[in-house]
Amino acid sequence: MDLTLLPQALVSGVLASGLYALVAVGLALAIGVIGIVNFAHGEFFMIGAFLAYQLFVSFGFDPLLSILFVAPVLFVIGAALYASTIRFVLKAPELNQMLLTFGIGIILQNLALMVWGGDPRSIGGVPYRAIGIQLGDVSVGLVPLGSFAISVLLVGGLYLMLARTPVGRAMRAVAQNRIGAGLVGLEVNRVYLVAFGLSALLAGIGGVMIAVIQSPTPTVGLAYTLKAFAIVVLAGLGNIRGIVTAAIVVALAESLVATLVPNGDALRNAVFFALILGTLVYRSWRKT
Amino acid sequence: MKKLLAVLLAAVVGLGLAQEQVTIGILSPLTGGAAGTGLAQRAGFELALAEINAAGGVLGQPLRIIIEDDRADPATSVAAFEKLMTEDGVEFIAGGFASGATLALVESFRTFQPIVSWIGGASSGIGNDDFEGIEELLGEEEWFFHVHPWDYQNVEATFGFIEDLGVGSVALLHEDGAFGTPGAAGLEAGVEQMGIPVVLREAFTSTLTGGTGDFRATLSKVGAANPDMLYWIGYDSDAQPLSSQLKELGVAPAYVFGAPPGWPTGIEAAPEMECVMGLIGYLPNLPNPEAVAFANAYREMHGAYPDNYMAALAYAQLWSYADAINAAGTTDQAAVIEKLQTMTFRSPMGDWSFKPSVIAKHQGFGSDMWLVFQFQNGVREIVWPADRATAPLAACR
Amino acid sequence: MRRRGLWLDLLAAAVFVGLLAALPGILRGAYGQASVSYLALGIRAVGLAVLALSWDLVARTGQLSLAHAAFYGAGAYAAAVLLKLTGAPLWLGIPVAGVVAGVLALGLGAATLRLYGIYFAIATLAFAEVLKTVVKSLPFAISGGSVGTNLPPLFRPVFVAGEMERWEVAYLRNQGYFHVYLGLLAVAIVVSLLIQRSRLRQAFTAVRTNEFVAGVMGVNPARAKLVAFVISSVIVGMLGAIEAHRFGSVNPDATFSVHTTVLALVTPIFGGLYTTVGPILAALVLSGVEETLKRTLSDGYLVAYGVVLVVSILFMPRGLVGLFRGLTRRGRERARADAPRADALGGRDA
Repeated sequence: MDLTLLPQALVSGVLASGLYALVAVGLALAIGVIGIVNFAHGEFFMIGAFLAYQLFVSFGFDPLLSILFVAPVLFVIGAALYASTIRFVLKAPELNQMLLTFGIGIILQNLALMVWGGDPRSIGGVPYRAIGIQLGDVSVGLVPLGSFAISVLLVGGLYLMLARTPVGRAMRAVAQNRIGAGLVGLEVNRVYLVAFGLSALLAGIGGVMIAVIQSPTPTVGLAYTLKAFAIVVLAGLGNIRGIVTAAIVVALAESLVATLVPNGDALRNAVFFALILGTLVYRSWRKT
Repeated sequence: MKKLLAVLLAAVVGLGLAQEQVTIGILSPLTGGAAGTGLAQRAGFELALAEINAAGGVLGQPLRIIIEDDRADPATSVAAFEKLMTEDGVEFIAGGFASGATLALVESFRTFQPIVSWIGGASSGIGNDDFEGIEELLGEEEWFFHVHPWDYQNVEATFGFIEDLGVGSVALLHEDGAFGTPGAAGLEAGVEQMGIPVVLREAFTSTLTGGTGDFRATLSKVGAANPDMLYWIGYDSDAQPLSSQLKELGVAPAYVFGAPPGWPTGIEAAPEMECVMGLIGYLPNLPNPEAVAFANAYREMHGAYPDNYMAALAYAQLWSYADAINAAGTTDQAAVIEKLQTMTFRSPMGDWSFKPSVIAKHQGFGSDMWLVFQFQNGVREIVWPADRATAPLAACR
Repeated sequence: MRRRGLWLDLLAAAVFVGLLAALPGILRGAYGQASVSYLALGIRAVGLAVLALSWDLVARTGQLSLAHAAFYGAGAYAAAVLLKLTGAPLWLGIPVAGVVAGVLALGLGAATLRLYGIYFAIATLAFAEVLKTVVKSLPFAISGGSVGTNLPPLFRPVFVAGEMERWEVAYLRNQGYFHVYLGLLAVAIVVSLLIQRSRLRQAFTAVRTNEFVAGVMGVNPARAKLVAFVISSVIVGMLGAIEAHRFGSVNPDATFSVHTTVLALVTPIFGGLYTTVGPILAALVLSGVEETLKRTLSDGYLVAYGVVLVVSILFMPRGLVGLFRGLTRRGRERARADAPRADALGGRDA
């Protein structure tokens, strides 16, 4: 155990939570507001990542610039999927929604395979990708710092929107009571459409960050989606602010184990999921 | 009259024989996580098929191929292989990639015993008492021809390079699955035999098997171990995060060497890749005319240069079948096996033939297929071995 | 009355299994060597049916398990390790696999008794991921570590030159596996029918609809949930062992693939939840649709497959079974009684 690496492990862990929060926040909106467990959420990451790649290859766009294009496109994709399929299963059992979104996921994944092929695609020149600010023994990477800032911004923005704006209040209202909200004249369907579009939009931004960090393939979404689900559940459904805390806890644990234990990086997912399992079980027995 | 009839009959029979169209059945992962490999193989097969048929086909008839998607999945592979054997009636099998799917095919291969020319399934099993690999299970079969180098040959390839380089110490990172773990074990043993200390050996979670691409913890250990060379065995999509995070952390070994099965499309443009070295089976700038011809023809057909060396292997594999069957003049199994055993074939990687390896009777490409390239100014320059080098190794520190 | 229903069900099941058991011979008679290929597809379909029906048993108690891959993998590894370390008889691995998977399920089930809906789902998913890493980290001498290890085949028919064709060897092997898979499916069907026709059905339904009411009715929710979870895992554990023999090896990443879990969940929804017929029918139909698409479309057959799933759930919200039930009045009534509640996951704020 090499304790000289501890400061770096702490910094890396906290910063890594940015990406985790980023991928979780859109999913939290889908589950929290619409109550839909979206198995195709990872495909939104994937599409966001590939769009960022394509904008770079075709027009030389920097990924940060691409966000301005990717975000609205994903919103439209999300809204269109809602309008064409998901709104018809809102009253169906949630398991039906899972089958539906699983089917959508297969379609999107294999369409991407036909368009971009199966090889990973890399965005070549990202000027800020391999740069770290050196503070003594510790390096603060610009990309993790940026994704941390973006995720805090998005989570905070989403929280404020839900709390302060009419559309946000409408979302919370329908989240709490679908029928009641319908009665007081809110157009539930329109609220859901916006919420699902926003969920896809947020995933799209996460996808752009994924494309900056690694090289996307049609199946890139799965690993992030599993972790995003777990973080949303750890935070507690409907608890948007809790996502940042939950992400910091799991990312920090991962980073510490990966640094301090020999072959620790291979234990990352085990640490992450053991923490989730332990917390859920512990909470359930403590409650009463 | 009887004579005439006999002549006519012979002519009809002869015509019938001449019209026997040769079909080669191919298994390849066209969907799912390994689709990159499968689609590259398919592109190589399609190019070879077009060229073979433009050059007169096989036994005077156009060659036919049937490509089955095996998804790199055992159940799908077995069903697809048994379809090729019993519904399509093929006598020759090509393609192949995942070791797990290959292991599932062993029993069925042995039952039907067609000629199996198999690209993938690099898990030899040699050196692992707890696991019987493909070479141990199929290597001695007369009808089994293995195209891609075995896992130990992949590793051996770099021993010569590391020795030539004269590095002082090595840190070894490997993905924690069935690909990286035995590879790293073999490499560690070989490097230490050369008298070069392995100062760190760490397993990591690959982006292909559930990782999210944060390697900072492991890379900071590399920084603490301060090796001369960082050698990593992982998957294609690990290349980008490993290289950029190394720079981000300010960890700078004199040599960074990656050994993934392939490299992401477009990664050469990333400035942080500068000086990174890697192992690759084929590059379009190889200094032999076949390599250039293949690259140009591939581009003509598919619109881009071949990124994945699996395309070149598939291309070479189908051509070897066509050449061997044409030389045999028949589809008779023993005759074709004899030609496959004895002929030398041309390929984008240079001339090759099937030779014995540790156990296998017919091993195609060996450790000498591998090239070491280095990213230099956004181009992959071949730097080793010397006879195929396109540029000298750039010293980066 | 109920007793009579059970006997009728068992009779129907016996006819169904009997017909399937005769399938290899029929295929061979009708298609000759192509029967080998059709049987390979049949094995896959029956395997999917076992996976789906066993998952449905848990779903009947209102619990959405994402740990099916874990029990499948645990079973596969139990058989592999047993044979590797002890030289036990070939077939012993399969029941042992069931026991190991069952014991693990008992532990996980007991720990997660108080988790509902998506919390239970994520806890079981987390368990599967942790178990995968644990198996990966076992010493090479036990499980083959991250590389995995080999298993002998259950069937290795001998080729006798001059007396048979090569394909007949493959036929005998596939026939053997088909019957073993079918045997396991028969076990799953009988278990499912016994549950449907016993007090357990009421218990399961009560727990699923309202656990508190179930308690008042005299049902022990904890016991009902554990029984379902353990039985389901024993079955899928044995499936894992059988498939490991057939595929000749186990490997942590492949054997514990989350894909197994997803298939286990999607298939019964497609067929009709909380029924015996639904998951089986769905496995047969989905396998057939997928293979047909694969054979007719060269590229993008999975896109078409996804479209089939999307369209079918939009137009048959109660699955294949619901479609048939809609044809009769009695069926409609039963369907209403069985219908999964909209908040099967326990609502958003559980």
